[in-house]
Amino acid sequence: MNQTLTAASLAIALGTAMSIAAAPVVAQDKMMADKEKCYGVALKGKNDCKAGAGTSCAGTAKTDHQGNAWSMVPKGSCEKTASKTSPTGHGQLMEFKEKKA
Amino acid sequence: MSILPLAAGPRRSDPAPARSLPRRAGIGLKPEHFRAILQTLPDLGFFEIHAENYMVEGGPFHHWLTRIREHYALSVHGVGLSIGGAAPLDEAHLDRLAALLDRYQPESFSEHLAWSSHGGNFYNDLLPVAYDRVTLARVCEHIDRVQTRLRRRMLLENPATYVEFAASTMDETGFISEVVARSGCGLLLDVNNLYVSCTNHGRDARDSIRRLPLDTVAQIHLAGFAVESDSLGAPLLIDSHGTPVAEEVWRLYCHVLDRVGRTPTLIERDNDIPALPVLLAEAARADEILCRLAPMRRDEVRA
Amino acid sequence: MNANAIFAEALLDPAVPCPPGLASWNGSDPAQRFAVYRNNVVVGLVDALADSFPVTQELVGETFFRAMAREFVRAAPPRSPVLALYGQGFAEFIESFSPAAGLPYLPDVARLEMLRVLAWHAADAAPVSRQALAAALAAAESLPLARFEFVPALRLLASPYAIVSLWAAHQSENAALELAGVATDTPQTALVCRHELEVAIYRLAPGAADFLAGLLAGQSFGAAASAAFAGDPEFDPAATLALLLGAGAIAGIATPRRMS
Repeated sequence: MNQTLTAASLAIALGTAMSIAAAPVVAQDKMMADKEKCYGVALKGKNDCKAGAGTSCAGTAKTDHQGNAWSMVPKGSCEKTASKTSPTGHGQLMEFKEKKA
Repeated sequence: MSILPLAAGPRRSDPAPARSLPRRAGIGLKPEHFRAILQTLPDLGFFEIHAENYMVEGGPFHHWLTRIREHYALSVHGVGLSIGGAAPLDEAHLDRLAALLDRYQPESFSEHLAWSSHGGNFYNDLLPVAYDRVTLARVCEHIDRVQTRLRRRMLLENPATYVEFAASTMDETGFISEVVARSGCGLLLDVNNLYVSCTNHGRDARDSIRRLPLDTVAQIHLAGFAVESDSLGAPLLIDSHGTPVAEEVWRLYCHVLDRVGRTPTLIERDNDIPALPVLLAEAARADEILCRLAPMRRDEVRA
Repeated sequence: MNANAIFAEALLDPAVPCPPGLASWNGSDPAQRFAVYRNNVVVGLVDALADSFPVTQELVGETFFRAMAREFVRAAPPRSPVLALYGQGFAEFIESFSPAAGLPYLPDVARLEMLRVLAWHAADAAPVSRQALAAALAAAESLPLARFEFVPALRLLASPYAIVSLWAAHQSENAALELAGVATDTPQTALVCRHELEVAIYRLAPGAADFLAGLLAGQSFGAAASAAFAGDPEFDPAATLALLLGAGAIAGIATPRRMS
């Protein structure tokens, strides 16, 4: 293939893109079957005046992840993921040992 | 439905911003309520924002605030200036504040008698200060710098605290009175903070109120607290902002209004945010009390 | 050390004793009262991270996430009072956090979530107008040397893992089912862009990813498209440009002045 695209082919690409982008969203999705597009949840304001009640140990809890008493305890949705190539298999986490101060 | 005779619904496209907040109830502006507010335009005195949440370049927060600002009075409440800190004020942060105030032209700006930054780290809490001469001088110096840089009078909020300092040589009301007298700032009287601190430190709330510079109170905050206990089993109240305003705090609010007259009042909620109508109902209760209890101020009658 | 320094050090490190000089009216233990501040600081910052990294949290579960986030908060507290942008560096922290080593894709998922936050708050800019596009098209002979300008709310992230599919599965009602179908070791490139009030995340085909990376690096339209074709014969410039236009990613097209 010619490594240098002609001005005409770029113009065709841009012109086609403009007509796709101008089409209704449903039609756009049909034209771009390969597309994967997703929205997430809204963000909140993170600066506030609240004080954390009812969780008075969280700030003083000590976490020890140096120890050797690890056991494999996946607890999140990562349990549903898998990898054929990873020797450990994805979806595995080390357990935290927590001590309350 | 309007409860107050002086309120004829939300102000629409008011061209010149008023110099002060309406003497009515307002609520904190939460992203969860952006759309509902613009869809229903509830009858409300003002909205308050936390300044730091809007110190971003663009995006949805500015989009919604700009539109809501077109309809309502605005109070900007800083939570990160660290006025009580030992270090000089963060000038870059002051610049951000100045830009925000310039952009939205709020009717009120307030900050806390607390510190939150040290050594370049931000601790995201309103941390307590010792009430001594050194701290007094520093706080006054910082407030002076804020008012000079922002070219406006600021309101200082009394803190909710959980510890006291052995080094303190003044009580809290004496300290605040000195700060207000020396710096010329106004007082944002957080009635919940006052109740929380008085409970946590064995003080009498009504006595504390009497000893504050009440003639400088320009805004009131009301909020909910959580109850825990100290190592001796005495109640230790946490300023959680996660529940409706407590009945004790409503009673104290009435007591305050008897002394300060009709004053803009914020219902604060930062945790477990309920649907907008729940907060509006709390604001309506404050409005009802404002209307029933608080005499008109002389300047208000003239206006 | 002044009083603030002593107080601050003890806030983040539970191994540091309660600061001296604290008092209580009734003689109750000041350390227990000081713990309220420790709690506020750490919980507040962990909450901020949880809001910015919801998919990372779902992947590892709330307990693990909060413990990991707490370690990050203690290692790298915010350097600015503006918490909206806190969490830059969290992905790198996860990379070095041995208990999470079993999930090699986790740092890139966190990276993607941080880019979403940055796009959310990025400066506003209008996407390119139809008139400007039509003008560029009318000057077709200058298109090979044209350079694209992009809105500030655009970010690109290439990963050796299926980060877009992992992220997208968590936006579904049936995350578990969708996750089971994700081959995590598939390389994917994410396009993150805010259009009006929403931040969308797109999966880019390899050629589209190369094309956009080239344009972002300052290559001309012609050079970036040629390079994309060279690397991926399936590259579809029209579909890619349509995606970029639909995403509100393109701010303008600068065509070189015609030489007479």
